[in-house]
Amino acid sequence: METLSSVGKRIPKRDAVDKVTGRAAYIQDLKVPGMLYGKILRSKYPHARIVRIDTSKAKKLLGVRAVITAEDVPQIRYGFIKDQPVLKSGKVRSYRDELAAVAAIDPEIAEEALHLIEVEYEALPGVFDPIEAMKPDAPLIHEENKGNILKIPWKLVAGDVEEARKNSAFVAEDRFEVTWVTHCCLGTEGIIADFDLRNNLTTYRNTQIPSLAQRDYKDALKVMGLPDAKVRIIKPTIGGGFGSKLDTYGFEYIAILLAYVTRKPVKIQKTREEEFRYTSTRQPAIVQIAQGCDKEGKLTFRDISMILDNGAYTSWGATTPSVMMMPISSLYKVPNVRYEAKCVYTNNTWSQAMRGYGNPQATFAIESNMEQLAEASGIDPLEFRMRNANEPGEVTPQRFKITTCGLKECIQEVSKRLDWANKKKGPKVEGRGIGMACLIHVGGGARVYKSDGCGTIVKVDDFGAVDVFTGSTDMGQGADTVIAQMVAEEMGVLCEDVNILDRDTDVCPWDVGAHASRTTFVAGNSAVLAARRVKERILNIAAGFVDRWKDKQGNKHEIKLDTDPKNLTIKERMVYSVKEPEKKIALSKILRGAHYEKDGTMIMAEAFYDPDNENLDREFKGNLSKAYAYGAHGVEIQVDKETGKIKILKYVAAHDVGRAINPMLLEGQVYGGTAMGVGYALTERLILEKGEVMNPNFRDYKMLTAKDVIPIEAVIIETNDEAGPFGAKGIGEPGLVPSAPAIANALYDAIGVRIKELPMTPERVLKAIKEKEKK
Amino acid sequence: MKKEISFVLNGNRMEMEVDPFWTLLELLREELEMTGTKYGCGSGECGACTVLVNGKAVNACLFPAVEIDGASVTTIEGLAKGSGELHPLQTAFIEQGAVQCGYCTPGMIMSAKALLDENPNPTEDEIRHALAGNFCRCTGYVQIIDAVKAASHAITTKGEMRPRKAE
Amino acid sequence: MSKFEYLMPSTIDEAISLLVSRGERAKFIAGGTDVMVKIKEGKITPHYLVSLRRVQGLDQVTYKDGELRIGALATHRMLELSPVIRKEFPILIDAVTNIGSVQIRNVATIGGNIVNAVPSADGAIPLITLGAQVRIRGPKGERSMALEDLYIGPGQTLLEPGEILLEFVIPKLPPRTGAAYVKHTRREAMELPLLGVAVLMSLAEDMTTCTAARIGLGVLAPTPMRARNGEAILKGQKVTEEVLHKAGKAAAEECKARDSIRGEAWYRREMVEVLVPRMARLAMERAR
Repeated sequence: METLSSVGKRIPKRDAVDKVTGRAAYIQDLKVPGMLYGKILRSKYPHARIVRIDTSKAKKLLGVRAVITAEDVPQIRYGFIKDQPVLKSGKVRSYRDELAAVAAIDPEIAEEALHLIEVEYEALPGVFDPIEAMKPDAPLIHEENKGNILKIPWKLVAGDVEEARKNSAFVAEDRFEVTWVTHCCLGTEGIIADFDLRNNLTTYRNTQIPSLAQRDYKDALKVMGLPDAKVRIIKPTIGGGFGSKLDTYGFEYIAILLAYVTRKPVKIQKTREEEFRYTSTRQPAIVQIAQGCDKEGKLTFRDISMILDNGAYTSWGATTPSVMMMPISSLYKVPNVRYEAKCVYTNNTWSQAMRGYGNPQATFAIESNMEQLAEASGIDPLEFRMRNANEPGEVTPQRFKITTCGLKECIQEVSKRLDWANKKKGPKVEGRGIGMACLIHVGGGARVYKSDGCGTIVKVDDFGAVDVFTGSTDMGQGADTVIAQMVAEEMGVLCEDVNILDRDTDVCPWDVGAHASRTTFVAGNSAVLAARRVKERILNIAAGFVDRWKDKQGNKHEIKLDTDPKNLTIKERMVYSVKEPEKKIALSKILRGAHYEKDGTMIMAEAFYDPDNENLDREFKGNLSKAYAYGAHGVEIQVDKETGKIKILKYVAAHDVGRAINPMLLEGQVYGGTAMGVGYALTERLILEKGEVMNPNFRDYKMLTAKDVIPIEAVIIETNDEAGPFGAKGIGEPGLVPSAPAIANALYDAIGVRIKELPMTPERVLKAIKEKEKK
Repeated sequence: MKKEISFVLNGNRMEMEVDPFWTLLELLREELEMTGTKYGCGSGECGACTVLVNGKAVNACLFPAVEIDGASVTTIEGLAKGSGELHPLQTAFIEQGAVQCGYCTPGMIMSAKALLDENPNPTEDEIRHALAGNFCRCTGYVQIIDAVKAASHAITTKGEMRPRKAE
Repeated sequence: MSKFEYLMPSTIDEAISLLVSRGERAKFIAGGTDVMVKIKEGKITPHYLVSLRRVQGLDQVTYKDGELRIGALATHRMLELSPVIRKEFPILIDAVTNIGSVQIRNVATIGGNIVNAVPSADGAIPLITLGAQVRIRGPKGERSMALEDLYIGPGQTLLEPGEILLEFVIPKLPPRTGAAYVKHTRREAMELPLLGVAVLMSLAEDMTTCTAARIGLGVLAPTPMRARNGEAILKGQKVTEEVLHKAGKAAAEECKARDSIRGEAWYRREMVEVLVPRMARLAMERAR
């Protein structure tokens, strides 16, 4: 292995200094002169006709500058099937529906004005269960449709599942259900929208999709009659993303409308309660699954159908099946696959992207059911997985081309660190068990849009500082730092001489977004490419460069660098001749030399990297990613059989990451992802009753605290994917994908009880124990 | 009716008029424009607004502003020395990877400071107990605990920060 | 948030007369962790808050001749760190150590917790189980009562307007007495309990016969309750697994567990059956 100077090092996150001193400015901290505060009036019913809205009293309140309803503004529709108007008229379909919005000189006055808006509703019967909503006599959520089932044809077929089932030696079939959970970013959502007097829009927004948001805003501005308006998005420091900022939302458009109507900057900032009530969740799912294998335990088929509660309007949750197809078709070698999913409108909340984007949901069902199948076949569950593990070079039924694949190594790490064989053989401690589950995720970008690209511009100043303008987004995961490390490595400069600029669409190139764990891979490759071009330019200028100077005694000195740029290198702010390392000139001299001459030149380069992967075709097949991340989690638990509580004794998270650009930040992703995954498995649940969120606070939404100890070991497996920058693949999401099934499988090993619904609360565990005892 | 209060803020004497219904969080963020202390939930549940009043960690979002009259208040902005030298906790958080999105970080560091001021050599359980009221969604708390341990080591040995894990 | 005046008396009598003079529009505030939240949620809209923070002398913890006195304005953190409580009354440590967070415990007072009178009552259950008396002062003078009798309904106590809790008095316990409390929760911190179970056991010289027992239950009735049927089963009995099990069962049957978003009634009842014996065993260990 070559010795690297930046890549592979545990370099601290570069904005950490600002964060630990309180200097980092989040959307909550930003103020613009003359700014107004916006508040939104939400529906009092989950399903109702809007008979009348009267805003006259609100408009008269001292300090109120604007009150708008659907009547006052052009109708902007959003969501990927555009089924949601920004302000509702005619009827409301959920408690989230926005009926009116106020802009006032301070948030208290805006809130008071909301109370002065009079709304008359005529309640309609609501439906809160997708299975009920599918029935012919169910209340119709969107009256322009004939029924509540969305016409999105999620269906994946490979091989012949029926035939394979007939020929299987063992079959396991069951039903699993997962419910709503939410992101719980510590920084709540917010936006400041501001028009100049030529109708150009600037927003300050903690978005994960600056380039796509620009387009969404431009589409809205067109509807508003401003087709030529320019859009600039400035990202403040982001207080958590996890997928919650991958779409453009109602409240953003409302801020833009209020800003336009008042010609003043308008800030809308969600309170924590609003964040819990009105932020889209992870997609719930009801999963029916069957898998089969032959006598040797080789998988023969996987057959899955799902019903997804789409809520009242459509957001990214309805596209999670496209990602669920990934583990369904490509986690383990399974030759025959069938999958279909129905999305159904209800009067509940709706779902968006959340870390894993359908993968945790599908993997919970698949990996729980794998364990059931292993048991039916009489093969140890770890061994069962090894026999079916993916390998480098294979092409899966969804036509994914697996390049590097460290799945077997990950499974072996779990086996070793949990002492699997001995624990399975040896005497059993009452209530104790071990379990595991594996994962596949995209690791080399993901062509979910037509583009999977990211642009980078690298500029070097006269002093050797390297400015990297990237389209990518850092939301705490460390994109800024790993890009700097990769640029430093490629160019031969010091990491601290690299400056990352990623905050302003006026300045930064295009990127499709911080999703699909793609940033290290795609933005990294883009930055490395640009850095390589800049380095070439520098070395071309440095070739044959002569440095002359006089010393204190007046003696003349001269150094001339090798005339062949291929013999030159950059290191520690100097340019060297490789063959004669004592011949070195300060990099800054060379850089200044570039333009302090006639025919001067700037040292800049750009690169747009769009990986050589594919969109899914009409059959939902295609090589979605350029490389795939694999992993395995294993867990040892102790169950208190009298209370149903589960305690985690040991947790092993092994991940094939290609290459760890920054092991410290990478471990942070694994620790954080696992904590989210364990919360998903055991405690987290957004409770809805007849469409209303009943636990909109941290007291009753059970995110894990510092005292909820997970004794975790993060194991990094490096398979060095040649498509990845320095061999790296993605890691942002894999950390939470297999946690729930690993724990469910450990629970089964411990007490012979399988919980098929998340979260695995003490009540569910105790109930299952009692039912088992009855039998 | 506004009330006159005088207090010490990050070592500086302050005199000002406050409205009786202000919280300490509003005083800091809105009136003094010190935005290092964060709004996370407004109901004392997440700890993002943690500051020290007379050395004790409190949630500024629930602390009536008038009650700091005569007290000494420390916020995240007051930890680093005037020279720019960071507090060992700040250095440890940076070096141990304890900072991702950073939103919980000011509150987390203030809680940790209150702990180390009272108990310079805490066990891991004691650290977790002290930080129980500071929520973090990014880190899973692991590197935060590492950072508090590293800072404790640096403070009690008055020596080098304990080195990070082997490169 | 609604606007209010904030008054800061320095004596108890000043506090009482301020509150009485402002009438219905005034409310006492101690640590503020309950009152401020209620104001923010719009549940109460006082025009005046009468702060008790500057009132001197009500935050002492004294232990003399076996009697423990806790000032109503002692913060939970003071109790958590009190050497005498840690040594002599570990049941109180069981309770306070996990109320909220350090930040909350640094300002929230035990008196404020009691007066808030929520069924979860982590503070109240152990005090009641220890047989605490509470001293009250109001415009009409002072009175005392058993803490248990203070509660009349969720959020409701027998306190008259203007009355303030002064202190809790735990009388000397019989020799060979131990007590323990558990707060049953989903995660390890920042929780209101699914239920709370406290058991106090006094043992005879043989260290296995129970001479007296008290079982306190939280979240299992509109107010903190004593499981008297369960206690009756333990009293006078040689403590065996069977006896403990019967006591737990009786306590489960007499409690009034309900479904809520925090937990289901059947599970709460099951946990009473499981936790009463566990706390009884721990109490007995502490009695030794």
